[in-house]
Amino acid sequence: MSFLSSIAHHIPDWIVFCQALIALLVPILATRIYKTLHSFVGTGKNLDTNKVSQTLESTRAATPFSGDYQTDLQAILSKIGSNSDLHTREFPLTKLNARGTLFCVDGMQNERILNMKMMEFLMFKATGDVLAEPSKAEDLLPFSSLSTISDIDNFNRSVLFGHAGLLIEGMPHGLLIEFPNGANRSIDEPVSEALIRGPRLGFSEVLSENTSMLRRQGFSDQLEMKSYLVGTRLQKDLVIAYMKDIVNPDLLQEVQTRVNNLNSDFLADSGYIEQLIEDNYLSPFQQVQNTERPDRVINALLEGRIAILLDGTPFALIVPVTFSMLLQTPEDYYERWIPGSLLRMLRFGAAFVALMGPALYISLIAFHPGLIPTELAISIIETRQGVPFPALIEVLILEVSIEILREAGIRLPKPIGPAMGIVGGLIIGDAAVQAGIVSPFLVIVVAVTAISSFSIPTYSAGVTLRLLRFVSMMFAAFLGMFGTILFFLLLCSHLTKLKSFGVPYLTPASPFRATDWKDLFFRAPLSLMKRRPAMLKTKDSKRKS
Amino acid sequence: MYRSYKMIFLYLLLPFVLTGCWSSKEIEDLAMYTGMALDIGQPAPIEEEFEAKGAEYSKHNKVMTTIQIVPMKTVGTKDKNNTGSTKKPYLNVSGSGDSILEIFRQFSIRLDRPIIGHHLKVIVISSKLLRKQTIEQMSDFVLRDNDIRPSTKVYISQGDAKETLESSEPNEIPSFHITGMYRNQMRTSKVLDFVTLSKLDALMKTKRSFVLQNLVSGGGQIEFSGAGIIKGSSGHWIGNLNQEDAECLAWITNKGKAGAIKAYDWDNQPLTYEIKSIKSKISPHVDEGKISFKVHLAVEGRLIETWNKNNIPSTNYYAEKTSKIIEEKFAKMVQALMNKLQSKYKVDVAGFGNRLAIVYPSVWKQVEDDWDDTFSRSEVNFTYDISVTDFGSITETE
Amino acid sequence: MFNRTDDKITTSQAGVFLTNTVLGAGILTMPRSITQDMKTPDSWLTILLGGIIVMLAILLMVKLSQQFPGQTVFQYAGRIAGKFPSKVLCLLLVVYFILIAGFEIRSLAEVTLFFLLEGTPIWAVILPFIWVGTYLVLGGINSIARVFQIIFPITILVLLASYGFSLRLFDINNLRPVLGSGVLPVLHGLKSSVLVYTGCEVVMTLVAFMQHPHQAVKAMMGGIAIPFALYFLTIVFVIGGLTADAVITSTWPTIDLIRSFEYTGFFVERLEFPLMVIWLMQMFCNFCSFFFQASLGVSQLFKFSITSVIYVMVPLIFLAAMVPKSIQDVFALGDAIGTMGLTLFLLLPVLLSFIWIIRKKGLKQHV
Repeated sequence: MSFLSSIAHHIPDWIVFCQALIALLVPILATRIYKTLHSFVGTGKNLDTNKVSQTLESTRAATPFSGDYQTDLQAILSKIGSNSDLHTREFPLTKLNARGTLFCVDGMQNERILNMKMMEFLMFKATGDVLAEPSKAEDLLPFSSLSTISDIDNFNRSVLFGHAGLLIEGMPHGLLIEFPNGANRSIDEPVSEALIRGPRLGFSEVLSENTSMLRRQGFSDQLEMKSYLVGTRLQKDLVIAYMKDIVNPDLLQEVQTRVNNLNSDFLADSGYIEQLIEDNYLSPFQQVQNTERPDRVINALLEGRIAILLDGTPFALIVPVTFSMLLQTPEDYYERWIPGSLLRMLRFGAAFVALMGPALYISLIAFHPGLIPTELAISIIETRQGVPFPALIEVLILEVSIEILREAGIRLPKPIGPAMGIVGGLIIGDAAVQAGIVSPFLVIVVAVTAISSFSIPTYSAGVTLRLLRFVSMMFAAFLGMFGTILFFLLLCSHLTKLKSFGVPYLTPASPFRATDWKDLFFRAPLSLMKRRPAMLKTKDSKRKS
Repeated sequence: MYRSYKMIFLYLLLPFVLTGCWSSKEIEDLAMYTGMALDIGQPAPIEEEFEAKGAEYSKHNKVMTTIQIVPMKTVGTKDKNNTGSTKKPYLNVSGSGDSILEIFRQFSIRLDRPIIGHHLKVIVISSKLLRKQTIEQMSDFVLRDNDIRPSTKVYISQGDAKETLESSEPNEIPSFHITGMYRNQMRTSKVLDFVTLSKLDALMKTKRSFVLQNLVSGGGQIEFSGAGIIKGSSGHWIGNLNQEDAECLAWITNKGKAGAIKAYDWDNQPLTYEIKSIKSKISPHVDEGKISFKVHLAVEGRLIETWNKNNIPSTNYYAEKTSKIIEEKFAKMVQALMNKLQSKYKVDVAGFGNRLAIVYPSVWKQVEDDWDDTFSRSEVNFTYDISVTDFGSITETE
Repeated sequence: MFNRTDDKITTSQAGVFLTNTVLGAGILTMPRSITQDMKTPDSWLTILLGGIIVMLAILLMVKLSQQFPGQTVFQYAGRIAGKFPSKVLCLLLVVYFILIAGFEIRSLAEVTLFFLLEGTPIWAVILPFIWVGTYLVLGGINSIARVFQIIFPITILVLLASYGFSLRLFDINNLRPVLGSGVLPVLHGLKSSVLVYTGCEVVMTLVAFMQHPHQAVKAMMGGIAIPFALYFLTIVFVIGGLTADAVITSTWPTIDLIRSFEYTGFFVERLEFPLMVIWLMQMFCNFCSFFFQASLGVSQLFKFSITSVIYVMVPLIFLAAMVPKSIQDVFALGDAIGTMGLTLFLLLPVLLSFIWIIRKKGLKQHV
């Protein structure tokens, strides 16, 4: 009887049962919302392949050259002749006694060369036997980049893209004789990834230049680049680069499938591709690395990764990516191993501060005064007297203004940028303290956090951490230290679930690969790095013979 | 339809989130107390005034608690130039009653900020109080409380404990001053090892007698002066050891590492010996139920000061001669201490019992319960090995 | 295969899994629970003895599980003992896992509310914790093992550092005399010292998930050796720092030890801060492990999908955590769990191996 009553005594309240119900409902609901969101955007992995190829086909309703000069010319002009920047120049081929037309778009060709060399050749030198046989034409015309096109629409597109097109009476196809040579900027240092030591070369907007930069990294017949046309309306070249004898074929297959499945009418930047091929849209972490530096790309290729380059953007993509890569830079390898390792560890520390700094501040100030050293507690109390806001609001005020400042700094013209930094950082910070809106201690915390987040080599990773910092602050404001730890655990759980092209995001920390630890927090001397990262399951694991 | 349910549910969750931050208390809205003094119960002056106006509650005034709150609240924005103010950086609040927590809660109806004990550094208990109440009663609350750290140091005061929390120095927080004083241990063994709450807990649990450093205050200054003895079996304070006894106790228990010994030499002039290292070894002997101890003290040091007009040459002969004088002084000091321990107070605070328990656990089991008495009847023999290693930076020849 | 889709864990992951499962609330309470039973400073001897016994038990469980490669105890128990009795036994095991999960989470809440979040309602601590755990457990054994691998080194590092700093309180005399009261107290404490290893039953499911089951003995021995060493260090440092008499009356002796000193001028002057942090993370691992095991058990016994079982487990664990009314109840529940663990050990691996040997050797049946 007493046993029963003690059981009855221990049956919890109805409130507890209600809480249990909430406990059940929240995860179910969260999963549902997650799934709904996920099905909205879909994933990069499973796009419908057939649909894409169909749309591509439909835009390519081919109209072949008829072979009749006048008809073809009319056909071309009727389609693209209304463009004001299109130059057509009809000329007689004297030796041949035929007519020809040269098409080019303003600003895409070097006029002088066109005039002097080509016109001279075509008008006065080109003889009958050069153009008599179509098959021989390619061999005999004195142009290095020459291709024939038998499809008018294709010809039109190429001409408008900037090729110099040539139509000659009696030939049943069009000729493209010069590559586009539009306005380009010169090759510069990588702007988003400044460096002290190492090659100062950054990618440019021209795909062929970028691929050439990769080629020029060294002699090899194993560096393979495969070209794809992407975009359904405005098409662009995309190149997948990899080392043929290193890369894992399954990985390559996966990347190719995802690139093939790209379905978008225009890809303005590699950022589009990154978002369309990544594994998890809802993760705050990037699963593809972007870089402007050819040396970073080639290092990645030699580790067995794959690079994706898109025409028109200086940012190349590297897949698969792991979390630690975002905090590493090629300079770690250029410097000697001791400073390299120390700097790398410093960066990991900075990443932690960038993520947790304000959260720790909030939880210590507002929840656990007992965990602060006494002397520090006294000086904090002294400085915080008169601050009218609770810690969370105080931190938010300063954090948000720092973020605005940073954003403004990017948009500002270069000469004003530093001035803005001084005004924003120094004057506002000092004035805020003087005005008693924030405490000086917080200014230190926020400043250190902000600087830490800038020390992360990959800009987009820094943005991720800054974003998550606000989440961690919310957790901290809710449950103090406990909340901060919950946030950290949640982050860990998320990161362990995340994969980038099949490689767990946290490798080699977990799953633990002891051999890859040589190159994680610590950068072992180069003589010790005999093998490629095990996580990529490369064909050839040895770096040294 | 389904989606709208979800939205309703989410809105229902919102209040839970918004009512969060239950434990959130900004640090500046709390009053940290860093020192606490326990005195014999009598209403504090302010309390008397309150009570005169009828502001009272039922109590018997068994103990008076004083806490030291830092830092003082400053009004308005900080004027950096206003250095002229000699306002004390701390606030002492006193109250009396029968329960320390109840007194604390009385403070809560007087102060504008809730008090927190996370940063309590030092507890001073007046010896008069400990004659009436036991140390267990006085430390029960502070050991149970979740805020107060077991690393808090405990001292005894000869006079009023709350006076030790006053300072005549401007800009000095007395409780920090007391906390920092142990740093001088490297200079003199008169500064005993501090006793933290967790150590106090352990000492009380074993029911053995122990000493707590004694604080004396005067003229707004404080001094460590010897030690107060707490009798293990009763938990009451029974008397004080003077400074030299305390020093000697530290040496015997192997806890003192430094100190100066002043003796009078063959010409009756002061001669000071500075201890460099000191090792003591207590070895218990049990002979047919009779317990005795042998203590061996090995001391190394240098002659550091002499007022003798005749020079003392730096030779082995004089080193020998000096060490003899020091040894005599040593023996005298030890004798004085042992007299107090064995005859006057009849307590073992020098850890003889611990040694016995380790070497002869079975014998210890029998005498454990009235060890203090047994100890006072035991024979303790001292042997000394004192050497003068050098004469400082002066070398004199004969 | 570049993409791993199978739910297998590596040998080191299996070891860490076991370590994180065993290393739980015990770090904070174990010195008291053992010393209470013994009343002498010899608890470290007991913990050694208890560890050896547990190692033998684990060896038995591994050997049994290795007879059925790829199968957990929930699956092979039926093949040995028949459908109905095995279901009852396994259900007991599941209840046991749920109770431990509830117990661990409740101790966590008690410590958090006492030291960190005074005034917060208990559900506000427990619920988010369970939810985060659910998120992890939904990822399957691989995700869990990976999180364990991240947290494990941090735990070890901070724990050892905290103990190292506590050396200034350490007095070897507090651990002496050795065997001053004879061997009897050591045997008295044996029960509670075996109890600190509760949870090692997961070995019977863990082996099934191993990529290389033949390395199971190595992995499991390594996995139990770490808590074994840590418990040993804990008890040595706590008793050496606080004395056995003080430990007996301290609710959370390990926290008391770390709170008993301050490193002035050090940035983290108060080392209970890192200790609490890693302990909370360790409890998370511990909790997730049992959460997963319980869900796995139900889903394998009744052929439900594991996802839905996990959702159903959430309120059950919450209720299990809320049942104790006071901290005395919590500790009583801990003792009950220990006893239940011992019974289950006798019932499951011992009984099953016994039946298995009889059927295999005695009756020459093919099981």
